[in-house]
Amino acid sequence: MSPPVPPELLTDDVSLLMVLIDTNPYFWSSIKQSFPFSKFLSDVLAFLNATLLLNQLNQVVVIATGYNSCGYVFDSAGLVNARAESCLPELEKFLKNDASMSTEDTVNGVGHSLLSGSLSMALCYIQRIFRSGAGHPQPRILCLHGSPDGPGQYVAVMNAIFSAQRSMVPIDSCVIGAQHSAFLQQASHITGGVYLKPQLLEGLLQNLLTVYATDMHSRNFIQLPKPLGVDFRAS
Amino acid sequence: MPQVKIVAKNFMDMVASLPALKLDKLFQNAFICEAILRSLPPLAKKYVLHLLYIDVAVPGKSLDDWVLTDGLSKHKVAIDRLIQLRVFTETFDRKKEVSYRLNPTFQLNIQKHIKHGGILPRQPLSSSGSLRLPSLEELDAYAANQWECFLLHLISSSEAEKSTNFSSSMMKIFQRGLLSQRDEKEPPRLTEGGFQFLLMDTNAQLWYIIREYITNSEEHGLDSADLISFLLELSFHATGEAYSLNTLNDIQQTIIRDLADLGLVKLQKGMRESWFIPTKLATNLSISLSDTSSRKQGFVVIETNFRMYAYSTSKLHSEILRLFSRVEYQLPNLIVGAITRESLYKAFQNGITAEQIISFLQQNAHPRVAQRIPSVPENVTDQIRLWESDLNRVETTPAHFFDEFPSRDVFEAACDFARECGCLLWENSKKMWLVTKFESFPQMKEFLRRHKQ
Repeated sequence: MSPPVPPELLTDDVSLLMVLIDTNPYFWSSIKQSFPFSKFLSDVLAFLNATLLLNQLNQVVVIATGYNSCGYVFDSAGLVNARAESCLPELEKFLKNDASMSTEDTVNGVGHSLLSGSLSMALCYIQRIFRSGAGHPQPRILCLHGSPDGPGQYVAVMNAIFSAQRSMVPIDSCVIGAQHSAFLQQASHITGGVYLKPQLLEGLLQNLLTVYATDMHSRNFIQLPKPLGVDFRAS
Repeated sequence: MPQVKIVAKNFMDMVASLPALKLDKLFQNAFICEAILRSLPPLAKKYVLHLLYIDVAVPGKSLDDWVLTDGLSKHKVAIDRLIQLRVFTETFDRKKEVSYRLNPTFQLNIQKHIKHGGILPRQPLSSSGSLRLPSLEELDAYAANQWECFLLHLISSSEAEKSTNFSSSMMKIFQRGLLSQRDEKEPPRLTEGGFQFLLMDTNAQLWYIIREYITNSEEHGLDSADLISFLLELSFHATGEAYSLNTLNDIQQTIIRDLADLGLVKLQKGMRESWFIPTKLATNLSISLSDTSSRKQGFVVIETNFRMYAYSTSKLHSEILRLFSRVEYQLPNLIVGAITRESLYKAFQNGITAEQIISFLQQNAHPRVAQRIPSVPENVTDQIRLWESDLNRVETTPAHFFDEFPSRDVFEAACDFARECGCLLWENSKKMWLVTKFESFPQMKEFLRRHKQ
């Protein structure tokens, strides 16, 4: 945790961005041809650097959503001239660890990643920020998700969504996979975030910069994509 | 054309008012691009990101489409700002439709930054045996002390114990507008602006001084663009790390000595080389680019009996309090005084108003009394205002006095004439004396001349 920032320095647009990255290896190997993980990662890192660039008080926390586990891989708090690239060693360690936990050799389809777990971790972190003192940056959560929804996580995900709604934290979601995600549609709908499934993944960075870099203050003034429809089915 | 008038209010306004050629040169430095981006209003930052990877001009109409109706005014401000700083360049097509694109140098620098990362302006020295770095607390204390010393020097050179590196001509420039001197023998007095300056928080004061320093940089042989770029670069150094002085060029070496006087950096000498350590004041420079109106913690307690207790060790505070109160005794951490009529009259004579004094007392109220409403007792504030209005009971008007009228008729005609043109101030018909406003003298003279004939 960083030392509290003097409240007078917190301008309207200072934000705390919690980014949840889907690292489910089965999913990424399924779309290896069209959109490799490395390309995805380089876009995301550029986006994170841009966020850090906008305001020196902006804070970025990256949580990896794995197949068996999830974990914090990067926190820009307290770093001077923080660069998102510095999360790579941590991410690699996480991926190795996550892979070693797998017991079965083969998975049916691409499997599900632990969205509920990483959402809860993000919310815990935000709660800690809320309680740290008077001044804190405006938090928001961004899910970069590809794996299909795991029906078994329905209750846990919904609980996380309602808790985010209660603490007025919007959940933005960007779906990388082939199908829409009903979980994330609902999450963004309920918490007032943005849900988007980019048509062309090559333009992911442009999407991230135009839509998801919008801080909470600017959202009052800027047009953001509106959902076409929300799938309210349980799972 | 941008509709916002350029007023050098904060640092970025100064950057914006630089000539286009110099501004384009500044953009070649990646740090400046970064600092400029950070200083922009939130919406403007967004637009830069929107256009970051677009290499063609975007019609202004489609920019307008991004905004909700609520944000139109903010949108306008953002666009104007971007054009002012030459981050956006405008082009007009045949139909007079405007389109915008990012300044290519700026665009490239920001793209490079987010993809590959910036390089630090210079590497900090590794801590070895010869290098003993001050702790952050020590550094903060050093910066605060240095700044206070400078301020004290600024408002009364006689009180300061340590002289500064600034030449007296530079000091004079800083004092301009803050102090006024009626004649050589009298010590200079604090003007209204000077008093307001002392009421500002450190960052705002710092900006005022830096601004004066930059605007007058040409006089002492520095290029303002060099100065600005160095100051911005400095704000990207890490607080408390040591950087070798050898990495600076000659111009920067001169600048850094001045900055050390202001407490922005601490200079240290080692066996072989010297180094500088940026303090919080320096690294906060680019944060405080936007106008923040923060307050320092208060220290003054005023009692209903006009006694004043100021918990402060600062000599500067005692100087400020002395401006309008009678300081009775001073303990190491406490200044005790009283607000008296005489002390206030002295302040009023110096052009300090009652409202300024009251707002100073309120803003600097000790945390213990600050929660109370009102934080300064009402009878004290009322009395301060009453004493001020006491001084204003008598109003003076420049006037002309006429007497020895040849006859009562002439006198009465003159009185009527003066009354008609609204310049009559006073008349005494018994003694035939007449007082009129100063500016109507020619009319009166003309009238009397006609009557004589």
